[in-house]
Amino acid sequence: MTTTITYDDKSVRHFMIASIIWGIVGMLVGVIIATQLSWWQMNGKFLEWITFGALKAEGISYLTFGRLRPLHTNAVIFAFVGNMMFAGVYYSTQRLCKARTASDLLSKIHFWGWQLIIVAAAITLPAGFTRGKEYAELIWPINIAVVLMWVVFAVNFFWTLAKRNEPSLYVALWFYIATIVTVAMLYIVNHLSIPTSLVHSYPIFGGLQDGLVQWWYGHNAVAFFLTTPILGIMYYFLPKAANRPVYSYRLSIIHFWSLVFIYIWAGPHHLLNTDLPRWLQMLGMLFSLMLWAPSWGGMLNGLLTLRGAWDKLRTDPVIKFFAAGVTFYGMATFEGPLLSIRSVNALSHYTDWTIGHVHSGALGWNGFMAAGMFYWLAPRLWKTKLWSTALANMHFWVGTVGILIYVAAMWCAGIMQGLMLNQMAEGGTTLKYEFMETLESIQVFYILRSIGGTLYLLGFILLAVNIWQTARSGAAQDDSVEVTLLERKQKDRMSWGESIFNDPLGHIFLAMAFVILWFFLPPHADKAALVISIVLGYKVWTAFKSNKEQWTNWHERLVENYLPFTVLVFVSVAIGGAVQIIPSLIVNREKNIEGRLQELYTPLELAGRDIYVNEGCYNCHSQMIRTLVPEVMRYGRPGVADDYSHLGESLFDHPYQWGSKRTGPDLAREGGPIADGSTHMRLGKRGNDWHFNHFLNPRQVTPGSNMPSYPWLFEKETDVKSLPARIAAQVRIGVPWLPLNQHEIRDMVETQAQEIAANLVKAEVYLPSKPDLQGDALRNHLAKSQVVALIAYMQKLGSYREVGDGTRGPIPLDPDTHRRTTADKPAPATTRN
Amino acid sequence: MNQEPKRGHFAKEKGEVVLREHEFDGIQEYDQKLPNWWLFTFFGAVVWFVVYWALYYHTDTFKSAHQLVKEEIVAIQQAKAAELEKTLAALNDKVLVHEWAAKPEVVAAGEATYLQVCSACHAADLSATMVAGTVKVPLPGLPLNDGQWKFGGRPMDVFKMINEGSPADSTGNNGVKMQPKGGANLTSKQVAEVTAFLIAKLPEDFKDIPAE
Repeated sequence: MTTTITYDDKSVRHFMIASIIWGIVGMLVGVIIATQLSWWQMNGKFLEWITFGALKAEGISYLTFGRLRPLHTNAVIFAFVGNMMFAGVYYSTQRLCKARTASDLLSKIHFWGWQLIIVAAAITLPAGFTRGKEYAELIWPINIAVVLMWVVFAVNFFWTLAKRNEPSLYVALWFYIATIVTVAMLYIVNHLSIPTSLVHSYPIFGGLQDGLVQWWYGHNAVAFFLTTPILGIMYYFLPKAANRPVYSYRLSIIHFWSLVFIYIWAGPHHLLNTDLPRWLQMLGMLFSLMLWAPSWGGMLNGLLTLRGAWDKLRTDPVIKFFAAGVTFYGMATFEGPLLSIRSVNALSHYTDWTIGHVHSGALGWNGFMAAGMFYWLAPRLWKTKLWSTALANMHFWVGTVGILIYVAAMWCAGIMQGLMLNQMAEGGTTLKYEFMETLESIQVFYILRSIGGTLYLLGFILLAVNIWQTARSGAAQDDSVEVTLLERKQKDRMSWGESIFNDPLGHIFLAMAFVILWFFLPPHADKAALVISIVLGYKVWTAFKSNKEQWTNWHERLVENYLPFTVLVFVSVAIGGAVQIIPSLIVNREKNIEGRLQELYTPLELAGRDIYVNEGCYNCHSQMIRTLVPEVMRYGRPGVADDYSHLGESLFDHPYQWGSKRTGPDLAREGGPIADGSTHMRLGKRGNDWHFNHFLNPRQVTPGSNMPSYPWLFEKETDVKSLPARIAAQVRIGVPWLPLNQHEIRDMVETQAQEIAANLVKAEVYLPSKPDLQGDALRNHLAKSQVVALIAYMQKLGSYREVGDGTRGPIPLDPDTHRRTTADKPAPATTRN
Repeated sequence: MNQEPKRGHFAKEKGEVVLREHEFDGIQEYDQKLPNWWLFTFFGAVVWFVVYWALYYHTDTFKSAHQLVKEEIVAIQQAKAAELEKTLAALNDKVLVHEWAAKPEVVAAGEATYLQVCSACHAADLSATMVAGTVKVPLPGLPLNDGQWKFGGRPMDVFKMINEGSPADSTGNNGVKMQPKGGANLTSKQVAEVTAFLIAKLPEDFKDIPAE
């Protein structure tokens, strides 16, 4: 039976337009924050100039780097690529299923809900409401909205699959399924929080566990939000545009399954060379290396599909963008495994090399695939011709030059700063360069980066103009096609038993189970497990060779059944996270910590920490001295040989604040012991007045610094009222606070704040906004101000006490404690002076 | 361009590339064999995973990062101590004033180090103050140009102060002690250079050190 259906292309147009608008916004914010690294005045002072002095400010809180950088990342990931992905998914899924999207209502809710979320993010992030975890900054009410919208998207998508008039699922749909399932899993787990108010919450994970979950999420946001959906889009739009068959179906199968299975394990490569358990680092690094080939499988299937269509490169901007986009994908996915090697990472991590890497993927792969898709879609969605091919070509070249300048500048900046930071002075006993010297020497590259980014933005604006003119020259019209309706019994006939209990899966899962046992079993048993898994691995190979047809047929049938397929995808992506995170949640807890255990915060220090998080300090400062000689020399205390950051030192930090980029120096050892004669006030590396002057104007104490000034910290009062609720929430997630009632909390805050304020007054600090305040009046003003809370936190950083007697035996599920080399003997106890 | 299916490099089946029967919205798929170099890359990475893990966890081939760092830092500390001993053997009040501080290149090197490491707390003009808007406010360090030397005014006292930081029993300036600079950022030669710079800058304070 045949019938005529009309596709819902209206939603596609909506998502596409939204993607273009948010793309411009997100990239513009990117250009602004890039200039902030070169010119501190871009953090608000420039308003004084462009308003001719009407607006006086050394800095505007809403415009500082720490608050705008999350806005940039969230906007380009979730608003630009998110909307682009939805446009591509809605367009191609309908055609690949020969069915209209299941529910127009859900499509509408999805579209407007998503845009509302973006608007909410654009308001809350500059206002300083954040969860303090990268790409997971949005506050909890917005998190819930995101999950709801994702469910709406998922229901709409799977419902369409159920109604499809095409028995088999095309490879693009596999990638969409992987995207929807995995992003849901990652997002929910990494956003588990205990709210303390409508706009604030603490993540339930702390310290290294929070770090591990964060990068399991963060890395796979790249994998399953920026990669798999775009691969799906590539598999639909690229062969369409090239009018050539896809290069290899079996490559599609192999690279799909290996990609979704392996990607999930790679998260810990963001925490290499830290005190994170070595087995997690090993998994992160080695799975990243194994990821190289699966990633390149996607690139090959893209580029080789163009064989026989390369001539179109001369005439068709769509093919130009796709070819360049896929090439950048190949480049970024070669660079990724390279950066995941521990020794390379020792140089590259915390530098701009990572930023360059991310942008070759974001600008080259995501941005160009988006452009190619939009140029292909626009004439079809508005039934006309592309307004100007010449303009699209111009966009291509301006954009390409922009990317190349950007990425090359970041390579130079990152490698140069990394080398300088590690450079020993003559004689080999001290480091050659101060941190500020390394920052000054990469300034020229920061300016080049801003230029590259601006070019890319200009190119994208050309796209907006072109698409706008194309839409104006045509008329919005939805496609109609005649389809043969598929009976219910003609599709999705595989039973659950057949889909799960079968030869290929049985073989593979058995072998995999022994590989996992190999990681965790105690000595000797682990080697036995290795031998068994190698034998089983060989068995998988021979079974595949002798039953090739049977295995192939099973997969052919599997892709005709969307639910079993989805379940298997979920199982493949769930394994990696489970193997890494669950043992860590069990093992890396207070009772197993040997050596250093974090001193708990006082209420005022906690308030200061929340300010640190809200101001986004973690965007530029790390709190993690890695297990590397130059780092211990630079940031550790003289005379302490093992003065890298130990896991126990940040165990109770919700969220963890190890950071991922050092535009400023590491802060892990800023703090110090309680000062003589004080009850709570601590003094660390630097005096309170140094911090005071530094927050007021970093350039007064560190000439050449590009840190913003924070004048509002000196005016705004610390939020003491909400502290009891915050502390109660921390108790619920396992931070061992002593029982304190609200009066005790208030008293502790008051005592400590007064001590710090008195110390500042004694040091004759000068507050330019209140020049008349003196003595007690100044002290009382400062004691209430946010800056004192933040100073309290700075002076607390890195405080710990010694625990355990160093005789810890092997712990189940911790391969590192089973390792019997001399290297694993517990560290000699060191004391905090 | 020839639009017919081309013979793929890797096609073995009847020497031709297989074009799959089914089409999706007009999209066709070849079924080319996987490139060998791609397979080698993949399997090579898998084998390396097994080999590296086994080497680390089943043999003593690699030391842990903790062990490596501690060993190297201890070695550096020993080298530092030896270097300091060597510097001190050739250094005294007289040498600092009449040899080190008399050489412009030494003083210039000391000044460069001072501006990089010390001026944040003691100010470029040694006054330990800075101008904030219209007023002068003190910096965290003690002024160096006031003729007072809290921990001893002999050149070697100054050297020791820079090298080791505030004495352990001092209360610090408003509670804050100076961090040892010799142990961390500076070699003992650089500490001597900074001392020489201070001597050259403050000749009055060190004029009673005899040349002979």
